[in-house]
Amino acid sequence: MDKILEIKSLSKSFDGGKKFAVNDVDFHINRGDICAVVGESGSGKTTLIRLIAGLEHPDNGTITINGKEVSSIKKVVVPEKRNIGMVFQEYALFPHLNVLDNILYGISKKKDKKKIAAEVLELVGLKDYHERYPHELSGGQQQRVALARALAPNPSLLILDEPFSNLDAMLRMQLRNEVFNIIKKMGVTAIFVTHDTQDALAVADEILIFQNGHLIQKDQASELYNKPQSIYVASLFGNTVQLNKGLKNAFRCPLKEDCCHAIRNEKISINASDCEYVTTAKILKRTFLGTHTQLMLELENGEHLTVVTPEAVLGNEISVGFNSKDVLAFDD
Amino acid sequence: MKKLLFLACFTLLLASCEENTSKDEKQEVNIYTHRHYESDQELFKLFEEETGIQVNVINASADELIQKMVLEGAQSPADVLITVDAGRLFRAKEKELLQSVSSSFLDSIVPTHLKDEQNQWFALTKRARVVAYAKERVDPSEIISYENLVNEEWKGKLLLRSSSNIYNQSLMASIIANNGEEAASLWAKALAGNMARSPKGNDRDQVIAVAKEEGDLAVVNTYYIGKMLQSNDKTELESAQKVGIYFPNQDDRGTHINISGAGVAKYAPNKENATAFIEFLLSEKAQAIFSSSNFEYPVNEAVEMADLLKQWGEFKEDKLSLNKLGEFNKRAVILFDEAGWK
Amino acid sequence: MSLQNSFLKLRRDFNRWSWSTLLLLAIIAIPVITIFIKLFDGPGESWGHISKVLLVDYLTNSFWLAVFCTFFTLLFVVSTAWLVTRYEFPLRKHLEWMLIIPLAVPGYIMAYAYAGFLDYGGGVSQVVHWLGVENFKLDIMNVYGLSFVLSISLFSYVYVSTRAFFLTQAVNLLEASRMLGTSERTSFFKLILPLARPAIIAGLILVLMEVLNDYGAAQYFGVNTFTTGIFRSWFSLEEPETAIYLSALLLVLIFSLILIEKWQRRKMQFSSAKISRITTSNRLVLSNFGQFVILFWVLLPVVLGFIIPLYQLLVWASKTFEMVFDDGFFWLSFQSFGIAFITAIFTVLFALLLLYFSKWNKIYHIQNAAKLGILGYAIPGAVVAIGIMIPTLFIDKWMIEKGIATKFIINGTLIALVYAYVVRFLAVAYQPLESSALKVNTSIPDSSKVLGMGNFKTFFKIEFPLIKAGMLSAFILVFIDTLKELPLTLILKPYHINTLAVKAFEYASDEMVMHAAIPSLFIILTAVIPVIFLNKLLLQHG
Repeated sequence: MDKILEIKSLSKSFDGGKKFAVNDVDFHINRGDICAVVGESGSGKTTLIRLIAGLEHPDNGTITINGKEVSSIKKVVVPEKRNIGMVFQEYALFPHLNVLDNILYGISKKKDKKKIAAEVLELVGLKDYHERYPHELSGGQQQRVALARALAPNPSLLILDEPFSNLDAMLRMQLRNEVFNIIKKMGVTAIFVTHDTQDALAVADEILIFQNGHLIQKDQASELYNKPQSIYVASLFGNTVQLNKGLKNAFRCPLKEDCCHAIRNEKISINASDCEYVTTAKILKRTFLGTHTQLMLELENGEHLTVVTPEAVLGNEISVGFNSKDVLAFDD
Repeated sequence: MKKLLFLACFTLLLASCEENTSKDEKQEVNIYTHRHYESDQELFKLFEEETGIQVNVINASADELIQKMVLEGAQSPADVLITVDAGRLFRAKEKELLQSVSSSFLDSIVPTHLKDEQNQWFALTKRARVVAYAKERVDPSEIISYENLVNEEWKGKLLLRSSSNIYNQSLMASIIANNGEEAASLWAKALAGNMARSPKGNDRDQVIAVAKEEGDLAVVNTYYIGKMLQSNDKTELESAQKVGIYFPNQDDRGTHINISGAGVAKYAPNKENATAFIEFLLSEKAQAIFSSSNFEYPVNEAVEMADLLKQWGEFKEDKLSLNKLGEFNKRAVILFDEAGWK
Repeated sequence: MSLQNSFLKLRRDFNRWSWSTLLLLAIIAIPVITIFIKLFDGPGESWGHISKVLLVDYLTNSFWLAVFCTFFTLLFVVSTAWLVTRYEFPLRKHLEWMLIIPLAVPGYIMAYAYAGFLDYGGGVSQVVHWLGVENFKLDIMNVYGLSFVLSISLFSYVYVSTRAFFLTQAVNLLEASRMLGTSERTSFFKLILPLARPAIIAGLILVLMEVLNDYGAAQYFGVNTFTTGIFRSWFSLEEPETAIYLSALLLVLIFSLILIEKWQRRKMQFSSAKISRITTSNRLVLSNFGQFVILFWVLLPVVLGFIIPLYQLLVWASKTFEMVFDDGFFWLSFQSFGIAFITAIFTVLFALLLLYFSKWNKIYHIQNAAKLGILGYAIPGAVVAIGIMIPTLFIDKWMIEKGIATKFIINGTLIALVYAYVVRFLAVAYQPLESSALKVNTSIPDSSKVLGMGNFKTFFKIEFPLIKAGMLSAFILVFIDTLKELPLTLILKPYHINTLAVKAFEYASDEMVMHAAIPSLFIILTAVIPVIFLNKLLLQHG
């Protein structure tokens, strides 16, 4: 396959080398893929994309876009020569230009400028908004203008930085699907940064997990879910219960005590005697969550465990259990 | 933005052009002066009318002007340096900023004790530093001399301005020259002890303070009282009317005088014009203007003094070489500081 | 990171903006460097005398000046800025801009006016005379009087910065705090005031720098400060070396002030994403009595800082009008105006170049170093003048020797003067520019670059329109400061050219302080118009 972006041992520190924002990162992205970068704030994901865009200069390592080395210790190609599109978290629309001028801004072709602008605006569903100014638009509309503006120059790589973080939940889902439908339709390779795993799972072909400047796992969504390499990665995709010594004893699991194991919350069954490991529990507290109910349990040996179940649970004493195939094992 | 930039460059260009044209064609004389009186403007205009020589003026304190001339060195455009005290002219000479002038007119007009030995500078006007006393409360015969101001009877009654003032520095220098450094130091300390208030304000303020009974005696230059008597400010006029003028030390060396004077700059590009300019300032016509509108004592004795000056009467001047004022200026400043005379 | 990597990185990142930034810094630093080189010549012989006899005096006076000015500003100005922002009361709209007007009155003119106003025969003595008291005089010719006079002529710096913060940031926070059940008063003291601290301190630092730099007022009041000490040792004692030592000490003082400001700024990096402004609808309206009290409190700084000096100057002007006001006077005003205009343009341009070149340069330490460019503001005007004269004379003389020029091209022309002004006032232009550039979210220029525009195109198409307001206020502030500037102008101004400030100073030092009223009034009136304009700008753009 054709690598559109290739990153090798990339590092960047701030404050004169004291704090690493990106620490020895290697990965590549194939043409046409949508790749999500997931991590908490401060994990270095924003620095990573700023490095890719050429807005920051690396301390070490290389960045290659379309086979051309754009960043290294010897040379950094300026952002304006990289043919990258970028949608910023705050949209960064030029407040003194109207929508059309914002879109036209990045189109370098002399010919057909207006036509291209009209096309991208139609694509994002804003064909009647040419004359509006950014402050006259809603958050979702600004987002779409920002996308249109980034797509208009036909970039070889599109970067989206937390594109949906300023939107409310309803709009977010709708817009997320819209935006990535457009991106797919255009066949643009995209890399997008988010702290929300749901966003990543929904649209990304591949997901990169960042923690403290390190790339800790890179995989497809299903692989990440089923084979997380650390408890941190596991917990990013839903509530996970770490099986400590007490819990292992309670369920009488024959798992090695010094190894790290965990089980996803949804894999713990209620009133399921057919599970491999079962124990009885007393319900301390129920919390009704609409489609689900959260139960706080006290196990036989006095350990506490919180589970979520879609079923209505009657009575105070129940049995809980899980199967060995659902147990996640980690090295650390 | 570009427009603004263009405008700025244009203006600069214009400014420099204007200077160019005016300099190449006309006769001119460049004056560095510490004097900034309206009467001087009048004199410069008169000189321009009489000779056709354009007068360019830089106004600043003599100290700053001397620094400027030192820095400019041989390329200095200055032709004439005018100061309001002899000390600064002495200093300018020491720093080799002035040159000798041979002018039979100046030789005949300016008495020897009012000019430099090598004719590097000449006094233009004289000012006497006198004691202004409250007519109602003081018997002037008790004032006697500068030295007598330290007397117990004046405790809390003296009004003196700041020691950073050049007139006080020159007075102090004359005391050092006449009585020695030690006596001068004691004198300054005792004087500081007799002050009615900590030194503040200018000469006029001291006179007003006497009139308002903050103290009884003030040490001031004569011409300020003259100007106050002509003032259209009620307080100034009334205050000046309430004070009398006493010329101290009439029984010994005479009253301390200082001068306003001028010298031709060593590297003067227009030396002849400069000499002509100084000669003009010592002409009867110019001297009369100094005397009548600024109440300074003329150096040219042929000139009739202003009525007010006549009214104050003749007095004996301290004929101490004015060079001494320059020589001891720095010591004066240091002794003032040590005496606590602010 | 290995040494070799560091070297490669330096070579990679040292771009043309890096050396342009360093070049600009060098131009600004020349006078400072000149002075520091001169420092190696050792102090003059009187240094012992000065450090023994006078230094304590300089230090205590400067200390009290700083303390009183801080106290006055915090007490009057911050409260006033809040009242006009948050409350509705009669004349509010007018008082809002009138509070900026004292900026137009230079410290030395304020000193002349107050000394006259409180002196025998002045306004106060006339009122008291009418009450039956004779010969009344309030003596303000001391360090307390000087602090008062300087405070009221400078407080607007704090007012402007604090009010800008209140206008743009405070309302959301305040409303949030009120919702949490906190009273208006507690919200102000616990929330708004601590948040406003960086804005207040930024203004205060400007005030203190000006206070430490003042020459005219301290000289007139006979108060010994560092600046008068510098003049005294330079000129009376004829020891530039000693003056340079004093300047260096003063610089240390100012540097510590700047460090304090940086430190507290780092500690409190507040910024609010959303900016909303207080509108008439959410201003509070108190009872009639409450409104009256507010009106009185807000009126007080306006009366002290503008009405009283204006009154005194008008009284004097009416007495000296015929003697001072003639054709030459218009020409004088025109020159003053022109010099200030040219200076403001060059200073803003220079500040812009420094700000953006250092931004475009990718080396962290050079970016930091660029901020040193504004330190010229801390150097007394006369010292800047000498610091510029020494090297430029050297160039002038060299050019004459080499036959490139026939006379001085830099000295005695506008070039040296404007150069000195630029060095001195760069901070005045740099700060509003920097803060308005900071208001532009970095993602905006970044996105322009990603969209294919270079630094210059991004600047002209995006940043320039967005920081126009900051540029305009920078221009106006420099304009006013140049109009008021005195010691530097005295030393460097060209032949034929005179300014209103110099004229006023000449009259005052010639014991014709009444005559100084008309040029003073002209300075004030010329400066008032841009000041009002500045306020309009502040209202529009926050």
